[in-house]
This record gives sequence, structure tokens and C-alpha cells, in this order.
Amino acid sequence: MVSQPDGALWLIPALPLATAVVNLFWGRRLGRWAGWLASASVALSFVVSLALVSQLVAKPADDRLFLQHLFDWISVGRFVVGMDLRLDSVSATMILVITGIGALIHVYAIGYMAGDPRYGRFFSYMNLFVFFMLMLVLGANYLVLYLGWEGVGLCSYLLIGFWSDVPANAEAAKKAFITTRIGDTLMLVGLALIVFRFGTLDFEAVFGTAGSVLTKDAATAIALLLFAGAIGKSAQVPLHVWLPDAMAGPTPVSALIHAATMVTAGVYLVVRSHVLFELSGLALTVVLVVGVVTAVFAATCAVAQQDIKRVLAYSTISQLGFMFMAAGMRAYGVAMFFLVAHAFYKALLFLGAGSVIHGMHDEQDLRQMGGLRRLMPITFATFLIGALAQAGIPPLVGFFAKDAVLEVAQHTGREVTYVLGSIAAFLSAFYLGRMLFLTFFGEGRSDRARQAHESPPVLWVPLAILAFGVATAGWLNLTPEGRVTGFLEQVTGAAPVGNGLEAAALAATATVISIVALALTWWIYGSGRVDWIGFRERLEPLPRAALNGWYVDRAYDIAVIQPAKTGAWITAYVIDDRIIDGAVNAVGGGLKLLAEGGRRVQTGFVRSYALAVFLGAVAILVYVGVRS
Amino acid sequence: MRQHLLTLTILFPLVGAAVLAATGRILSDRDARILALITTLATFAVSLLVLRAFDTGAAGYQQVDSVWWVRSFGLQYLVGVDGISLWLVLLTTFLFPVSILASWKVESNVVRYMIAMLVLETAVVGSFVALDLLLFFVFFEAILVPMYLIIGGWGSANRVYAAIKFFLFTMAGSAFLLVGILFLYARSGQPGPPSFDIRQLTQVAAALPVQTARWLFLAFFVAFAVKVPLFPLHTWLPDAHTEAPTAGSVLLAGVLLKVGTYGLLRFNLSLFPQASIHFATFVSILAVIGIIYGAVCALIQTDVKRLVAYSSVSHLGFVVLGIFAFTQQAVTGGVLQMVNHGLATGALFLLVGMVYERTHTRELAEMGGLAGVMPWLLGAFLFVVFASAGLPGLSSFIGEFLVIVGTFAVSHVFGSLSATAVVLSAIYLLWSYQRVAYGPVREEHRHLPDLSGREVAVLAPVLALLLVFGVYPKLLTRSIDPATCAAIEQVRTSQPCADVGGPLVPAAAEVRQP
Amino acid sequence: MIPTPVLEFRPILPEILLCAFAIVGMLYEAFARRPDPAPHLAIATVGIVAAAVTAYSLWDWSGSPYVLGDTVAVDRFSVVARFLLLGAALVGCLYYTHYASRDPASFRGEFYPLTLFATAGMTLITAANDLVVIFLALELLSLSLYVLTGITGQRRASEAAMKYFLLGAFSSAFFLYGIAMAYGATTSTKIVGVAGPGIVQALAGQTGSQALALLAMALLIVGFAFKVSAAPFHMWTPDVYQGAPTPVVAFMGAATKVAAFFALIRVFDVGLQPLTWDWTPVIYALAVVSIVVGSVLAIAQRDVKRMLAYSSIAHAGFILTGLTAANSTGIRAAMFYLVAYAIVTLGAFGVVMLVSARGEEQTSLDAYAGLARRSPGLAALMTVFLLSLAGIPPTAGFIAKVTVFSAAIGAGNWPLAVVGVVASVVAAYFYLRVIVYMYMREPAEGIESDDGVMPRVAAGVLAAGIVVLGVFPGILTGILEPASIVRW
Repeated sequence: MVSQPDGALWLIPALPLATAVVNLFWGRRLGRWAGWLASASVALSFVVSLALVSQLVAKPADDRLFLQHLFDWISVGRFVVGMDLRLDSVSATMILVITGIGALIHVYAIGYMAGDPRYGRFFSYMNLFVFFMLMLVLGANYLVLYLGWEGVGLCSYLLIGFWSDVPANAEAAKKAFITTRIGDTLMLVGLALIVFRFGTLDFEAVFGTAGSVLTKDAATAIALLLFAGAIGKSAQVPLHVWLPDAMAGPTPVSALIHAATMVTAGVYLVVRSHVLFELSGLALTVVLVVGVVTAVFAATCAVAQQDIKRVLAYSTISQLGFMFMAAGMRAYGVAMFFLVAHAFYKALLFLGAGSVIHGMHDEQDLRQMGGLRRLMPITFATFLIGALAQAGIPPLVGFFAKDAVLEVAQHTGREVTYVLGSIAAFLSAFYLGRMLFLTFFGEGRSDRARQAHESPPVLWVPLAILAFGVATAGWLNLTPEGRVTGFLEQVTGAAPVGNGLEAAALAATATVISIVALALTWWIYGSGRVDWIGFRERLEPLPRAALNGWYVDRAYDIAVIQPAKTGAWITAYVIDDRIIDGAVNAVGGGLKLLAEGGRRVQTGFVRSYALAVFLGAVAILVYVGVRS
Repeated sequence: MRQHLLTLTILFPLVGAAVLAATGRILSDRDARILALITTLATFAVSLLVLRAFDTGAAGYQQVDSVWWVRSFGLQYLVGVDGISLWLVLLTTFLFPVSILASWKVESNVVRYMIAMLVLETAVVGSFVALDLLLFFVFFEAILVPMYLIIGGWGSANRVYAAIKFFLFTMAGSAFLLVGILFLYARSGQPGPPSFDIRQLTQVAAALPVQTARWLFLAFFVAFAVKVPLFPLHTWLPDAHTEAPTAGSVLLAGVLLKVGTYGLLRFNLSLFPQASIHFATFVSILAVIGIIYGAVCALIQTDVKRLVAYSSVSHLGFVVLGIFAFTQQAVTGGVLQMVNHGLATGALFLLVGMVYERTHTRELAEMGGLAGVMPWLLGAFLFVVFASAGLPGLSSFIGEFLVIVGTFAVSHVFGSLSATAVVLSAIYLLWSYQRVAYGPVREEHRHLPDLSGREVAVLAPVLALLLVFGVYPKLLTRSIDPATCAAIEQVRTSQPCADVGGPLVPAAAEVRQP
Repeated sequence: MIPTPVLEFRPILPEILLCAFAIVGMLYEAFARRPDPAPHLAIATVGIVAAAVTAYSLWDWSGSPYVLGDTVAVDRFSVVARFLLLGAALVGCLYYTHYASRDPASFRGEFYPLTLFATAGMTLITAANDLVVIFLALELLSLSLYVLTGITGQRRASEAAMKYFLLGAFSSAFFLYGIAMAYGATTSTKIVGVAGPGIVQALAGQTGSQALALLAMALLIVGFAFKVSAAPFHMWTPDVYQGAPTPVVAFMGAATKVAAFFALIRVFDVGLQPLTWDWTPVIYALAVVSIVVGSVLAIAQRDVKRMLAYSSIAHAGFILTGLTAANSTGIRAAMFYLVAYAIVTLGAFGVVMLVSARGEEQTSLDAYAGLARRSPGLAALMTVFLLSLAGIPPTAGFIAKVTVFSAAIGAGNWPLAVVGVVASVVAAYFYLRVIVYMYMREPAEGIESDDGVMPRVAAGVLAAGIVVLGVFPGILTGILEPASIVRW
């Protein structure tokens, strides 16, 4: 028994932070070692995490909790917020994903970013991200969570815009930060509301007393405000617009931040705060609806994308929708399990895509690819596993995750959700198949495709490891009660049980749907019997609309951004310059005029002066007369 | 000795100025700079002694130093600090050496420039520690002349207009302040000798009829509202900031504006508590308008200094909003925001100045791609941008968050509205940063030098503090808390300050809807 | 059989000395082959110093407070006044000596005797306890000033002198009527009577006609208002200030106000004390009008002398503001203000004289462009004076403003104070404009500069005084304390 096992909790975020600082200032001097240093620190903090989690698991199920108070962060009057860390089943799951997958992606990045002039800076930012992400999930109160929440936003900003000499990238970075900040602000108001009601932001206290303190409406208000933050971070409709553009960042960034970890923070927040959501009830419905809508909507966009990374971006959005679906149905354990599963296969897919892009010398357009399976066998194999996993082919982990969600939907009598979910599942299998066939099968459709080469080990080894994980992780949750979900129940409570169709039947249907979808894609894109380009053109303008995400961006531009700019212009240059400042200058001008007028009176003639004296005297005399 | 520390803090710069004035003819520009730097550093050192001698956790005024100035007139030289003024004094004495160092490139009339700077420091420090109202007014007015000369003498193109505007705006405001002070003074006569001692005048003011107190509140309020500046009295600020030399802008934003918010907190609240409550909603509305209005104006600016100026209007709105929420979180948050805004915006102006020295333009349109050219300078810039955008972990966040939380407790509407600034500030700051740092770099900027050693020396301490105060604000709150608590209890005499506001008294009876 | 009064001449020894030396000066002017500034200056200086010494001996006067048949009062009040006036005279003489040295052709030896006569009149008026004596003194000083104004014989100077003379005569008439009415109302011209009842006793005793008394009050106010150039009796001021030779303006601007105001204080705060409730409103009104007119009209002026003329009108208003408090606080405030104002006026016009290198040509604002570059010292001095005029700490002007305003507010006249402070913001604008020209403009071409040492030293001393009084007003208030109680 280690004394004070939780005493080491701070190490987990501290390690990446330390290397982040080192790389920031001395990255240039470290040269190639910067990457190894960064990866090592994340790996190390993964080891520490493992150790602590194993100790956590070793404890009896009811008190699996490590708390660590580092120092008082804010303390004003009775309002105290500690820099507190909290390790329970949920945060344990999260830190394992973050540090584990994070470490792999770091290693991958060593190869991927090789030769970049700002190599050290890149890893500094990556480490910094890991630090903030860990703070986010380890925080024992909403403010520490918010600290991480904004911190990861910062790193996302820095890394999306990493190649900032290209204006588009900088634009994307800014868009990402500001769009998410909109959600964050509402979330901040939510925190204020929590403080107002509870006088504290501490999870323990809030969830402990919520039942007695909050009215239904108050709970709804708080939950929805928090969820607004989640919508922004997890790129749910209607704040999803930033994520596709965020693909401007280097691929490892997309894998780590925009697939595996940061974007799932929203799900974590909902799961973490499920007590409040349940008190409200309404809030849960909102979560569910947003989840379903996003899952379907994003899937339809993904189908039409030409850029391999944008396909994955939209698929990520869609998959996040699934997670919120689960959460919305009170199946928090399932949501978390989906989160983990998704982290694995989506990271795998992104890294695979990165390997493809790397192999094709920075070509990302599916139409330029083709026939890569022979040239890049390992990448192909791993990518295939990832794709099948998300497509939901048993026994890969993705299957169990998606199946669990649909099962809950069906068993709790949410038929609409079930159907829409299945449609989304079908679409996701479809676009994955499309991507798969367009990339790896057929003949190379460009010189680059024909001259592509397999990536070096530093890139494919992480792929292999992830692929292994994807292939095996499914068993984790296979047992009826589900190991992962069971482990999570301490926090999330048991998943709702209902009675509907036999689980096996549902699983079968889901599998069939996926296979059908894949077969269809094979027929269209793989078999060569269909002129898929012509096919696409026949469907215009649908594909173009889908490609442009159904023009949501343009709508925002017309409805929000342009009017706002005009408004600001009027405020600054009309109201401020002309009216307010104009008034001030008018006073001055008026006085000047008055003075000029006064000068006229000063004629220089003695008679007029004498007159003035006389009049003055008369005035006084009149006064005296009145007086006496 | 101990009780004279404050006096020393006030006198040091003045002595330095005198020495400069006396030896001005024989000094080389370089000597003048160094002499001024040494003086300000010494002053800072003394103020650190003040901090060390300060009894944290005590509420009242400390290290009070007093001597009759004009006995027959009841006018005293009376100075002292509490947890609020303490940090403003330190902020001042800290920012001055920084500004001097930042003005190394000033070439014309260096001696005169440095004299103005040192006199300014005396005046500002004095107005933060004066406990005699007339003495305060003297310092308050004395700020005008050196600042006027700095803007008008070393500013850019349109400096004269800006300088005069600054002078007249502030003087117009303070005119009413003077009448207000003299009115109180006249009342303090009966019974007992008349006096300007704030502690005695508090009693006098308490005895005033409600209407009179309200008029006096307004007289004081106008003076400070101009200084803050509070919407709609803010239009002097963009001009002053744009035209002032770098150090001028730094000090203007860093400390001068704080004199206004400090005045509101110290004088309006403690002298006219009832009137303060009466006008709270009115003032809060102005503050909220200022928060949003300033941010909106900043969105569209093309001159980076104007942009930062408007952002100041927005940020100081938070301070005022916090002060007039009368909850401990909000008021303490407001005081924190004073210090943090001083550091963050001060740093912004420093960086803008450094960019300007290289590119000779303040037009965002004429910059771009500088991040590639000067990674460290722009890196520091980004750090400060996020600091003043209120990123948690950096100082400004704490202040804003406490203000929002504390205000929310008394008014959901004001609290929520003020939060919008969180988005807006991110937008205008990132947008301007993007136009400075990213995109293609102009040919003539391709070989600009990165931070020099001196510039690092200028920036490093400020940036460090932004981080330290963001991670461990307790350094400040520890001593601020008791003072704000006392200030609140003067207003909300009914209950102990910790009970004021929502969270800690669940009954939302306190909620004030406009 | 009229009882011959005891003749005690010591209290008016200063005046006697001044006149004596004035005559000496005239004799020298008359009999010297080619009169020279130096001896003139020497004679005048000796006279002034002698007068000052004798005046000082009156500080601790133990004899009867009213002498020469109650026509002259002996109190510290008048001693303070005398010192101020003598100082002004001395500075004026110094200035003129330099002024004349710039073009010897224009030198007029009469300046010194005339100045001494004027000073004699001024000092006498502050000590006079009899309206008739006040009138005599008034005429003495006025006539001397009329001549001084036109002393250079240049066109504008002569024109100014003429205007000044005509209007002065006009206002004297009012004053004289005032005296007559006062006599009619109280059968006395003594302000405070010892032998028989004086005006104050009569008024206090309600003997005599109230109406006549009010009439007298009104007319006397007109006479004084003209002398202190309070609006609307101010019209002569700009023209005379602009036209007269700068040294004369320096002396006149400072001394006339002092003398007239001291006399006014004695007549109203003592003589018409029983009518306080009747005359304070008039003073109040005059104050408002003067402050507004002076401050606003000055904005439009581009000639510095003219601008200072208007500012002098505004300052008259500020002093009157203090006097709306008819008590020792008000008197003390006014006295302090007068001291500060006299010093500043002398100093400012000294700088003006130096800037307007030859004659009266370079008096427009443009002459001040880049002054800080050409002669930093001069610019610094001017800045001090301007800040004091604007009432910015740490100058005496600030304390002065504070004292008059707090006196007025103490008497419940806070609206007047509001007018005052707002006006001083407006005033700040045109004072600042000069600073702008000096520090923020490039020097204009063809500006000669005058590096006279003596006036510089004088101005320097005055500036130092302004700052010292601004930082340690206690020095002065300590003196004014006992002097501000006018006995009766």
C-alpha cells in the first residue's frame, strides 16, 4: 500500500507542463530531441496515471476517489476555489485516454513534423495542450475545469494556426477559438449561476446538495448554460462550423485535439454534471436532440467531402453526436465508453490519413488518390481496421460502442432516436467505405498517388499499436454488465434498463446496416462499374451543398457577421466620433463663437464703453430701488 | 522611520526631478535616463518596504503619516495606505521604472521628459495615499500638467489637440470635485475646527441631508467618471492614447485611469454610502454600456493604439461595475481588475510601442506576418493578448470572473451582459493580433530585429506578474479583502460584508433588477 | 471753534516719503543736463525702501487706531497693502529701467516720480478712513496712471491714456456722488468715527435715510468696480493693457487692483457693514458677470497682453467671489488672492516685456512659438505664472482659488463657486494655449529675443514666490491672520 497514493496526482499534469516550458524556451537548441522529450513526458505521465488508476481500482468500489488540494486559487470572503485535483472513475478513464493516445500521437508527430523550422515550438504547444486537457478532466471544481477548458482552446488556437504564414490557417484558428468562446461565455454565466446558488464551484458540494438547493428551472438554466459550452467545444450543431476548418492544423493536432481528446470535453462535462442535467430533465432532452441532429447532419456532410481530413472532421462531429445521444438518454457510461472507443479509432484514422498525406507529399484530395493499398500496405491495414471499427463491424470496438447507444435508444422506447441513429450509422459506414475505396483501391488517379511511398516506422508503429487497441478494446465492455461502464457507474450511475427487442437482434440489424452500406460503396467506388464522378454530377446541386456543409457558414456570415461589422462601424465612427465626441467639440466651438461675439462689443470707442458703465450703474441703481 | 515610508515614496521622484532640473544643463541624455531609472527603481524599493511593513489582514489605514500643512486652514499633509491603495501604489512604482526603460529611445529634450515623468510619479502616488481630501485634490490636479506635457511634447501628429482635450476633460470633471470638497469642508467647521481629513469628513457627510449627499455624490462622481473614463465621458481617452508616446500610454492606462476608479471606491462609497446605493443601478448601467460599447468600438478600429484604448474603456467598466455591486467578490474583483488591467494593458502598449518603433506605423493594415520575423516579440504579444482576453491562469481572468460572479449575485442582468465582453474581447484582440502577426509579411519588414536585451528587461517582469497574479491571486486578495470588506460595510451597514450578495445568503432577496 | 486735531504724521510717513522722493526725482529730471535712468532708479528705490521701512514700523502700532482727525486708519491691514504696493512699484521701476534701455530715445525720466506719486495714492487709499481722503488718493493715483499710460507718446499709448482718462473721470463722478449721498445719509464721511459717529455707527444706529445710504452704496460700488475692472465696468481694461507700455501695465495691473480692493474692503466690510445684506448681492452679481465675461472673451484674444487683460477681469470676479462672504474669512481669502495675483501679474508682464523684444511689437501669441527652444528659462517662468493664473497646484494661484471658493461656499454661495470653477476650466484653455505655443510649436522666423538679466532675476524671484506660497501658504496666512481683522 503506497502511502498517500493521491499525493502523486499533481505529477500527471505537471510532467507535460514542465517539458512544455523547456521546449518553449530551449526547443530550438534541443533540435530533434525536443520531440522525444515531449513524448517521453507524456508517456511518463501515462505510466503515473496507470499506477494511480490501478490503485484506484484496487480500492472498494464505493470509495474510489483520490483528491488533492494543491493551493487556494481564489479566496475572497467566503468564496473559496481551490486548485484541487480529483481522480475518480470518469477522470481516470479520461486521463488514460489522454496520456495513452496522446503519447502515441506525440511519437507519431516526431516523424510527421520532422524538419519543421518551429519543431520545438510545436511540441511545446502539444505538451501544453496535454497539460490543460489533464487539468480539465482532473479538476475537482468547475473553475479548474474551466481553466483547462480555456487552456485547451488556447492550444487549439495555437496549433490550428501553427503554419500561420498561410492566412487561411490563421483565420481557421481564430474562428475555432472565437466560436468555442461563444459557448464558453454562456458556460461562464452558468458558473456564475452555480456560485449564486451554491456559493461554491466544488463538484462534491454542488452535486451533493443540488437536489435540495435547486428548483427544476434553476437546474435547467444551469444545465443548459453548461451544455452551451459543451456545444461549442464538441462542435455540435449549431456551433460545429469551426471543426472542419480546424483541419488546417498539422494532422497530429487533428488526431489529438480535434478527434481524440479536446472535442470530447463537452461529453465529459455533461457526464460530469449529469446530476444537474437529470434534475432538469428538459436539459437532457435538449442534449439528446442536439446529439441526434448533429449525428445525422454531420454524416450527410461527410459523405460529400473531397478532402480526406474534412471527411474525418465531419465524421468526428457526427460521432460526438452519438455520444451526446447516449448522454441524453441517461446512458452516461455508454457515452464514456463511446468516447474511449472513438478516441482510439478516430485517432487511428487521422494518423492513417496523415500517413497517407505524408506518403503523397501533402496531397489531401481523395480524387487525386487511389490504389494506395499496394504502395502503403501497413497504413492501409491499420486504416482499414480503423474504418471498419467506426463502420461498426464486430468484433471491433466501434461496433460495441455504437450498438450500445442504439440499444439504449431502442430499449427506452425512443424509436425516432433509434431510427435516426441507425441512419447516421449507415451514412458513417458509407462515407468511410467511400473514403476507403477512393484512397486505397482502384488505380492511382494522379502521379502523386502512383509515386506514393510507405511512411517510416516512427509513423506506422503508433498506427499499429492503435490498430491493436481498436481490434481488442471491444472485449473490454463485452460482458453483459460491461466492465468499462460498470467501472464508471460509481460516478455515472447505472445505465437505464428497459425492455425492447433482443440485444442480439439489434446487434445483427446494426451489423447488416453497416455491411450493406459498405457493399454499396464498394459497388459505387470500388467495383469500377459505376462512373462515380458522373454520378455525383447528376446529383448536383446536392453534393455541392453537402460539401459546403449545407451553407451554414455562409448563412452565419450574412445573418450575423456582416450585420455585426456594420453595427460596430456605426457605433465607432458615427455614434462615438460624430455624436458623443461631436457634442464635446460643439461645446468648445460654441464658446469660441461666444467669445468672437464678445469681441464685437469691444468696439474701441469710448462712448460705447461709457455706455456700458452707465448701463451697469443703472442696473445697480434699479436693484437698489427695488431693494428700498 | 516606518511611518515615513509613504512620504519617502512620494518624495523620491520629486527629489530626482529636482536634481535633474538643477543639473539638467550638464547632464548628457544618457545620464538623464539613467538617473531617472535609478530614481524610479529606488522609489519602487521603498514601496516594497511599505509592502513589507504592511499588516496584512488589517482593515484600516496603516503607516499614517501626518503633519499640519496650513493649520489655520485645517489643511493637513496626511497620508496612509489600506489594502486597496497599497497595491495601486506598488503598481505605480512598478510601472514607472518600466516606462522609463521603455522610453530609452526618446531623443528630444530628454531631461525635460524625465522631469515630467518623475513629477508625474509623485503626483500619482500621492493621490493614491492622500487621506486629506484637499491634499488628494492637489495631487489629482498635479497629475494633469506633467501628463499634458508628455502627451503634447513627445506625442505624435495630432498631439496638441489630444493633450488639451485630456487636460480640459479632466479639469472640467475635477472642478465639481473641488466644489464638493469645499462644501464638505465648510460643513466640517461646526462644531470643532474645520478639516479635510477624510476620516472626519466621513462623519460630516453622514450627517448631511439625503438630497445634499446625492448632489455631492454626483459632484465627486463626475470627476472620477471622467478619469476612469466611464461612458459617455470617455472620448478623450482614445485621442490621448493614440497621440501619447509609448510610456505615456502605458502610464495613462496603467495607473492614471485607476485614480478614477480608486476615487469612486475610496471617496464616493465611503463618504456617501446611501447615495451610492441610490445611484448604484444608474452607475452600473453606465458601466455595462461602457463594457459592451468599448468592446464594440474596439472591434472596428484600424489603429492599434485606439483599439487598446477602447478596450480599456471596456475593461474599466468591469471595475466600476464591480465596485457598485457592493459584494465582496465584486469589489475585490474590481480592485484586482485595476491592478491586472494596469499590467496587461500596460504591457500591450509597451508591445505596440516596440512594434511601432520598428514598423513606424500603428495601422493594422500596414502590418502582418511579423510573427515570422520577430517570434519572441510577437510571442510576448500573444501572451499579453490572451492575458487581457481573460484567459484563466492569467491575471485578468480572476478580476473579471470575480466581478461577474459578484455582480451576478445582485443582478443577473448586469452579470450576464458584462460576460459578453469575454467573447468580444477575444474577437477584437485576436483579430488585431492576427493582422499584426500572421499572413504574408511586407517586404520592408522582413529584416526587423527581434526583442533587444533592454526590451526583454522591460517586458519580462510585467509578463511574469501577469502569470503569478493569475495563478496565485491570493498574494493580492489577502490584503485587499479586509479593505474591501470595510468599504462594503460602510455601504451595507445592515449586514457583514461576507453576507452581502447571493451565494452565501441563498435567499435571492438581494437581487436587484434594473 | 473747531478743535484742532492732534497731528500724528507717522502713520502717513510712507506716503510723505514717497511724495518727497517723487519731487526729488522731478527736480533731478528738471535740472540734470541729460537725465539718466540710473540715478532715477536709485532715487525711486531709496524712496520705496524708506517708505517700506516706515510702513513696517507701523506693524506693531500701539497708538490710537485712527489719526489725523480719524481720516487715516493705522492697522496691519494697510501695512500689508503698503508692502504689496511698494513691491509692485519697485518691480515696475526695475522693468521700466530695462525697458527704456532697449531704446534710449523713448526714455522718459518722469516715469519714476509719477510711479511714486501713484504709489503714494495707492498706499494712502488703503489706509484712508475718510471717503474724501479716499477720493483724493484715488485721483492722485488715477492721474498719475493716466500719464504713465501714455508716457511713451506712441499713438496707441496716447489713445489708451485718453480712453483711460475719460472713462476714469466718468467713474470718479459716480464715486463722488456716492460720497455725497453717504454724507447725506449719515452726516459723516468718516468710515469709522471716533470723535463723532462715523458712517458705520450711523448706519448701525439706523439714524439717517436708508434710501440715501443704499444710493451711496450703489454709486461707490460703481466707482470701485471701475477701478478693479469688474464687468461691466471693465471695457477700458483691454485697450489700456494693450496700449500702455508693458512695465506700466505690470505695475498698474498689480497695484491698482490691490489698492482698489483694499479700499473696497474697508469701505464695504467696515463702513457699510450694517448694509451687508444689501451689497453682497451686488458683489455676487458683479463676480458672476466678471468671471464669465473675462474667461469667455479671453478665448478669442491672440494678443497676450490683451488676453491677460481679460484674465484680470476674470480674476477681479474671483476676488469678489471671496468678498461675497462678508467676514474675516472672506477678507483673508481676498487678501491672499490679491497677493498671489499681484505677484503673478508682475511676473507675467515681466516675461511679456522680455518676449516683446522691442517696443510693443511682439506681443501676439506667435511671438511665443517655440519660446522653450529659444529661451527655456523664460518659458519655464511663464509656465509657472500661467499655471498660477489657471489655479493649478502647486502654485499660489491654486491656494488662492481654494480660499476664495471655500469662503464663498462657507457663506452658502456655492452656485457662485460652481460658476467660478467651470469658468476656470474655460480659462485653463487659453492659458494652456500659451504653453502650447511655447513648448509644442516651432519658433517663428525673425523673432528677436531680449536677454535682459535684471527683469529675468525679478521674474525668477516672483516665480519662486508663487511656488513657495503654493507649497507653504502657511507663511502668508500667518501674516494675513492678524491683518484681516479690520477694527472699528
